[in-house]
Amino acid sequence: MIQTILDALSYGGLYGLAALGIGLVFGVMRLVNFAHGELIAIGAYLFIVTIDLGLPLSILIAVTGTAILALLMEFSVFKRLRLAGPAVLLIASFGVSVFLQRFYEIIFGALPLSGQIAPWMTGVMEFGDTTITRGSIVTIILALILLGGMWFFIEKTTLGLQIRAASSDFQTARLLGVRSNRVIGAAFVFSGVLAAAVAFVLVTQRGSVDPLFGVNITILALVGTVIGGLGSLQGAALGGFAVGATISLLNSFLGNYRVYTYTWLFILVIIVLLVRPGGLISNKAVKERV
Amino acid sequence: MSDDLLRSSQLPGVTRFQWQQLLGPIVVIVVLSYVISSISITFTFLTEGTLALLVMVLGLQVFIGNSGVLSFGQAAFAMVGGFATGLLTVPVKIKENVLDELWEPLKAINMGIWPSLVIAVAIGAFFAFLTGLFLMRLSGLAAGIATFALLMVADNVFFNWRLIGPGPQVMPQVPKFGFVDESIILAVVVMVVVYLIGISRRGRLLRATREDPLAARALGASVWRLRVLFFTVSGGIAALSGAMYAHHSGAVSARDFYLGFTFTTLAMLVIGGATSMWGAVVGTIAVTAIGQVLLEFESGVTVGGIDITLPNGARGVVIAAALVAILIWRPKGITGGREFALRLPFLNRP
Repeated sequence: MIQTILDALSYGGLYGLAALGIGLVFGVMRLVNFAHGELIAIGAYLFIVTIDLGLPLSILIAVTGTAILALLMEFSVFKRLRLAGPAVLLIASFGVSVFLQRFYEIIFGALPLSGQIAPWMTGVMEFGDTTITRGSIVTIILALILLGGMWFFIEKTTLGLQIRAASSDFQTARLLGVRSNRVIGAAFVFSGVLAAAVAFVLVTQRGSVDPLFGVNITILALVGTVIGGLGSLQGAALGGFAVGATISLLNSFLGNYRVYTYTWLFILVIIVLLVRPGGLISNKAVKERV
Repeated sequence: MSDDLLRSSQLPGVTRFQWQQLLGPIVVIVVLSYVISSISITFTFLTEGTLALLVMVLGLQVFIGNSGVLSFGQAAFAMVGGFATGLLTVPVKIKENVLDELWEPLKAINMGIWPSLVIAVAIGAFFAFLTGLFLMRLSGLAAGIATFALLMVADNVFFNWRLIGPGPQVMPQVPKFGFVDESIILAVVVMVVVYLIGISRRGRLLRATREDPLAARALGASVWRLRVLFFTVSGGIAALSGAMYAHHSGAVSARDFYLGFTFTTLAMLVIGGATSMWGAVVGTIAVTAIGQVLLEFESGVTVGGIDITLPNGARGVVIAAALVAILIWRPKGITGGREFALRLPFLNRP
């Protein structure tokens, strides 16, 4: 039972991190970034390739590399699509995503690359009768630290204030002197950092990485961002958390029928969208009229 | 909010029926199909597969192009169509041997390809109607994500539920089309339907809702009803595409119609130009041609005495890059979203 709750919390935390990364970028430029999964994948590749240099250096390289790729996406593609609507941006990011997947296939090969990043995370801890996987504890702590850090950054710093301003009304924020390209660049960098954190947790769990490494979690986090509330950063984190926790709980309660977890999850997603098209925490500025 | 891909300033006259707009694409497809399939048996196979994809892209066009609502869910109806025709035509003996967990009444059914195609289309359209009743309440990104959720549900169900199919395995021994003619006829029929429904009164009203929902409502258009209607037609066409694919490859499985299929067909539509039937045709031909050339290079080609071998994955890289480049530099697609006209498409830029 305790393990079930901890799993739900750690899954929720992990998906919350991924969703917040997507939500940050969505907030400032209305881009639902499918290619976030490829940021997670490059993070995982960098961890595996550089782990022999020691964990601290590996973390540094992975985080920097992922952030650089995020900026590169912005400069090469999305910066040129500033005037396009959300549907065009969504399709473009779909294209970037497939482009990078195939690119990884060329560079790293289609087969999984394996390696042990932090073996101590896969162990279990025992408290009397209950055993708890160490990974879930570490994930929860990491998620708390990063979500707390992001909260501090967004609520207490000038750049964070600008991101919030740009998220709620981009044009007005620009008129009031917020430098749009800088804010968007910052959002991409932070979404890259969050992607690297997600990559760290996932790659320690799985022990291997392949070109499609980030697709699954991105689809789910993306859905979390949307049902959480487009344009609201708390909403994104909350939506991601809800999706992750729901998956984990469905997995434990469905028992032998757990293969149908996604069916139930996505039916719930459709229902949430029908009842609240703007998301659970909706932001008035993004409402679209039918 | 300007959405270049889906809103287009069509030239005047496009809403009137013009023979060249309908016959031009048909002639192109029929001639190309016969010429290419006459090269070799491999190319016949390629032509049939491409025609199935073309039907899918036309199905996407009729909904996405006219309504301006993005849908990732049409592949779900292709899945329904492929499975339906598979279950109806695979010989009873094969079903008993390979698909032993199948629901008993389904095991006993067997019919020819043509009646089975009709039923597959009907089932696909029915499911599209049923889901459209709910999903068409949404628009914009919510619609995109909700239709995506639909695809995920369909994939999850078909991949696991052995009562209605092979589960994660492949359904084998689906009877194949005898000749390339069947695929050509079906593709031409769909082109006629898509063009006629596009210029019909309801099609024009739906395009009006795409450009300005409020003004269209003032004209008495129910956005929801129109979208449900076109979503249903689109679902039926997608189901036909799935069924054509099944009869082309002789087998069908859930993962044939998943993210890769969705990406390819959506890329074809956007690259060609989402707002016209001609755009769907051009996009399908262009992407297939690029893909085929690169496939040759991936297996090694000698150009001027130099061996060139591209690594596996180069195809995906180039097609994805082409999609992004089109969105940046020519957001309305190669055709500019216009119907066929007897001029070279790249000469009449606005």
